Amino acid sequence: MPNIIAVVCASYGLAQSVCDGEDLPARAERFFRSDHTNNWAVLVCTSRFWFNYRHVANTLSVYRSVKRLGIPDSHIVLMLADDMACNHRNPKPATVFSHKNMELNVYGDDVEVDYRGYEVTVENFLRVLTGRLPPSTPRSKRLLSDDHSNILIYLTGHGGNGFLKFQDSEEISNVELADAFEQMWQKRRYNELLFIIDTCQGASMYERFYSPNLMALASSQVGEDSLSHQPDLAIGVHLMDRYTFYLLEFLEDIHPASQANMNDLFKVCPKSQCVSTPGHRTDLFQRDPGSVLITDFFGSVRKVEITMETINLTVPGIPLERFGGEPHTETALAYVDQLPVAQIIHQKPKQKDWHPPDGFILGLWTLILLVFFRTYGIKHLKHIF
Amino acid sequence: VSTLSLCFRINRRSGGLFLQTKMAAPLTLLVIVAVTIRAVLFRSSLAELISERVEVVSPLNSWKRVVEGLALLDLGVSPYSGDVFHETPLTIYLYHFVIDYAEIVCMVTDGITAVALYLAVQVYNKNVFRKQKYALEADRYPHDCLELMQTPKELFYVPLKVAMFYLLSPFTILSCVAKSTCGINNAIVALFVLCTIKGSALLSAIFLALATYQSIYPITLFAPALIYLLQRLYIPVNLRRQSFWLFTLQYAFMFVGSLVVIVGLSFFLLGSWDYIPSVYGFILSVPDLTPNIGLFWYFFAEMFEHFRLFFICVFQINVFFYTIPLSIKLKDHPVFLMFMQIAIISIFKSYPTVGDIALYMAFLPVWSHLYRFLRNIFMVSCVLLACSALFPVLWHLWIYAGSANSNFYYAITLLFNVGQVLLVSDYFYAYLRREHHLSHGLYLKKKDGSEATLVLK
Repeated sequence: MPNIIAVVCASYGLAQSVCDGEDLPARAERFFRSDHTNNWAVLVCTSRFWFNYRHVANTLSVYRSVKRLGIPDSHIVLMLADDMACNHRNPKPATVFSHKNMELNVYGDDVEVDYRGYEVTVENFLRVLTGRLPPSTPRSKRLLSDDHSNILIYLTGHGGNGFLKFQDSEEISNVELADAFEQMWQKRRYNELLFIIDTCQGASMYERFYSPNLMALASSQVGEDSLSHQPDLAIGVHLMDRYTFYLLEFLEDIHPASQANMNDLFKVCPKSQCVSTPGHRTDLFQRDPGSVLITDFFGSVRKVEITMETINLTVPGIPLERFGGEPHTETALAYVDQLPVAQIIHQKPKQKDWHPPDGFILGLWTLILLVFFRTYGIKHLKHIF
Repeated sequence: VSTLSLCFRINRRSGGLFLQTKMAAPLTLLVIVAVTIRAVLFRSSLAELISERVEVVSPLNSWKRVVEGLALLDLGVSPYSGDVFHETPLTIYLYHFVIDYAEIVCMVTDGITAVALYLAVQVYNKNVFRKQKYALEADRYPHDCLELMQTPKELFYVPLKVAMFYLLSPFTILSCVAKSTCGINNAIVALFVLCTIKGSALLSAIFLALATYQSIYPITLFAPALIYLLQRLYIPVNLRRQSFWLFTLQYAFMFVGSLVVIVGLSFFLLGSWDYIPSVYGFILSVPDLTPNIGLFWYFFAEMFEHFRLFFICVFQINVFFYTIPLSIKLKDHPVFLMFMQIAIISIFKSYPTVGDIALYMAFLPVWSHLYRFLRNIFMVSCVLLACSALFPVLWHLWIYAGSANSNFYYAITLLFNVGQVLLVSDYFYAYLRREHHLSHGLYLKKKDGSEATLVLK
C-alpha cells in the first residue's frame, strides 16, 4: 500500500517536473533518497565481568565511530553493563583499548555512558526502545526519536539461538525484540532502523522481525559462533570481536561526506577473516541497500537548504507603559544588627569541666584506706600520726 | 640413687632462697627497654595507625571512645547516651585525671602488670619448689622421674621471663601504643593473681570484684582463686566438709560484697544506673558487630533475629562452661587452672583484642618445663605467627582493595582462635601428662611389659 502511494507521488512529482521542465532524474533521485531528519543510536553492551572486556570495547568502538561521524551524545543512548576502564584488573586504568599494542583507546575522556552497570537490563532496554519510561527519567536516558529518525541499534554480548544474554542473569528473545520494533513502528518512533548484532548465532535475533524499514546485520549465522579477534598479553583479555574489529576498520575510512553504501557494509568481514559467516536481512527495507548511505545511519548528516532571500528577524519593539507614576518618598533603610557583640560577650557561659561528686570521692578513698589498713595491719597508722 | 642425693643437696642448699634483690637490676633494665620501645612508637606515626586497627582496639576498650565519653561528660550529657562509651564509672573517675597523660598511664599500667606477674610467679615458683622438695624427701616420685624435676636454676629466671614475655610481647606493645584500656584490665587481673598467690583472701576478692566489674568474664576466675586459697589454708577441697563451705562462703561474701560496694559507688558517680545496660548489656548482648579477632561478629552478622537470643546465650555460655569441668580436673593445680581460665576468657569473650592474648601468653614461661611433652607447639606457633601477619593484609584486601570479602578475614580469625585453642589444650595435655608421669613413672609399661603411650581422652 505505501508502495502504491509512493509510486503515485513519484508520478505526480515527475508530472510536475515535466511541466516545470527541470532535471528529471535528479529530482526522482532526490525523492528516493532517505527523508530522515535526525539520527539516533542505541549502543548496548550486555555482558559484565573482566573477561568480557571485548564486548565493552566493541560497543565503545561503534560509539566512537558514530560520534566521529556526527551523531551528538544527546542522540546516543550508550548502555555498558560493566566498567572496564576502572576495573581493578585493568593494568591501564581509564582506558579501553581496541587494538593490540594499545594503539587505539576508545574510552577517551568524553565518553558519556547513559545506562551503566546493573541499569543495563532487558526491561530498561525495551523501555528505551518503546519510550515507555517513567516520567522522572532524564533526557539523556531516553530515545526521543520521531517518525523521521534513523536509528542505529548495536547489540553485543553473549547470545544463542534466538536469545541474547543480559548481565549473566536474564535474556531477551528475538520475538521480544521483534515486538519491540513493531511497537516502535506503530508509535512512529523511527523512519528507518539499522540493527547490528555481534554475538554468537546472531542471525537468529533478526529472524523474527516483521516491521517495515528494518535492516539487520549479524556477525554469525545460526549454529556458528562469533569469535574474538586478538588477545592482548599486557591486558590479558581479548580486546575485540572479529566482526566489530573489521567493522571499525571499515568505519575508520568513512567520513561525513562519504558516499559508501550498505552493500559495502555487507561485505565487511568475509568468512576468511571472520571465521563465521556474517549475515544480513534487507527484505523489510523499502529502499535498495545500494542507495542507502552509511552515513544515513552512522552519521548525522543534515540536509541544508540554501536560500537567497533575507529574512528580517527583528520586530520593532512596543514601548512599555508607565504604571501610575507617582513618586513616593523613600525611607532610609539600614541593616539589622547581625552580631550583637556586646550582648554575646557577657552571656557566654564558661566551659565547665565535669568533676566527680564529692560523696563519691570520699566514699572511694575511705574504702581504699580501709582495705589498706585491713590488709597491712593497723600498725602502719603510727607512721601517719 | 646418686642423682637423687644430688637433687637433695641442690634443694637443701638453695631451698627457698630466691634473693629478690638479685633480680631487681635485670627487671629494671627490662622495664627501661620496654618503656623505650613504647615511647619510640608513641612518637612515631605508627601510633595513629595502630589505634585504628580493629585487632588492637574494640568498642569496649578504644581510647578514642574514652575521650569522646569524657567530652560528652564535660558538655553535661551522660557519656552512656548513644553507643559511644562503654567503660565503667570507676574508670571514668580514673581517666578524668589522667586523660592528658594517657601515654604515661598506659606505660605505667603495663609496668604494674609486669611487676605483679613477676612477683606472683616468684611466689608461685617458691611454693612449687618447696612442694617438690618435700615430695623428693618423702620419696614420693618414681625414680626415673628425676629428669622431670624443676631445677632452681630454671625456676630462678622464670619470673623475669614472664615479665619479659609480657612487656616485650608485640601484642602488648601494640595494645599500649593504641592506648587501649585493655592494659588497665590486664593490670587488675595481674594484681588479682598476685594477691591470690600471696594468699590474701580479702585483696584477692576485691581485685576479682574489680575485674568482674570491668568485664564480666573474670568471674570464672573465682573457682581457681578459691581452690588456691583453700589449698593454702590446708582446707581439703571436699564438698562434704564444713570447713570448705565456711571458707567458700567467706570468700564469696567478700567478693559479692565488694562487687556490690563497687557497683553502688559507681551509681553515686553519675547518679544513674544507665551504665549497666551500656557496659554489661553491651558485653553480653553483642550489638556491635565490627570485625575483630573474635568469633562473634561474623556469626551474628548473618544471624536471623529470631535466633539471635539463643545463639547469644550459646556463645556466652561457652566462656563460662569450662570452669566447673576444668576445676574438677585441675583441683590440685589451681594456678594452672587460672592460666587456662584466663586463656579461655581471652579466646571466647565477646570483644577480644590482642591485649587479652598478651596476658595469658605471659604465663607461658611458667610452664616451660613442659616443653618435652608439647606435641603441636611448632604448628601452633606457625599458625599464630602467620595469622597475626595475615590479619592486616586481609583487612586491607577486604576493606580497601575490594578483592577479598569478609570470609577471608573471618577465616583467619577462625584459624587464629583454633591455634590459640590448640596451644591451650596442648599445654593442658603436657601438664597432665607430666603429673601422670610423676605418679606413675616416666617410662610407662603396659601389663605385659611393652612400652605404653599416654592418650588424653
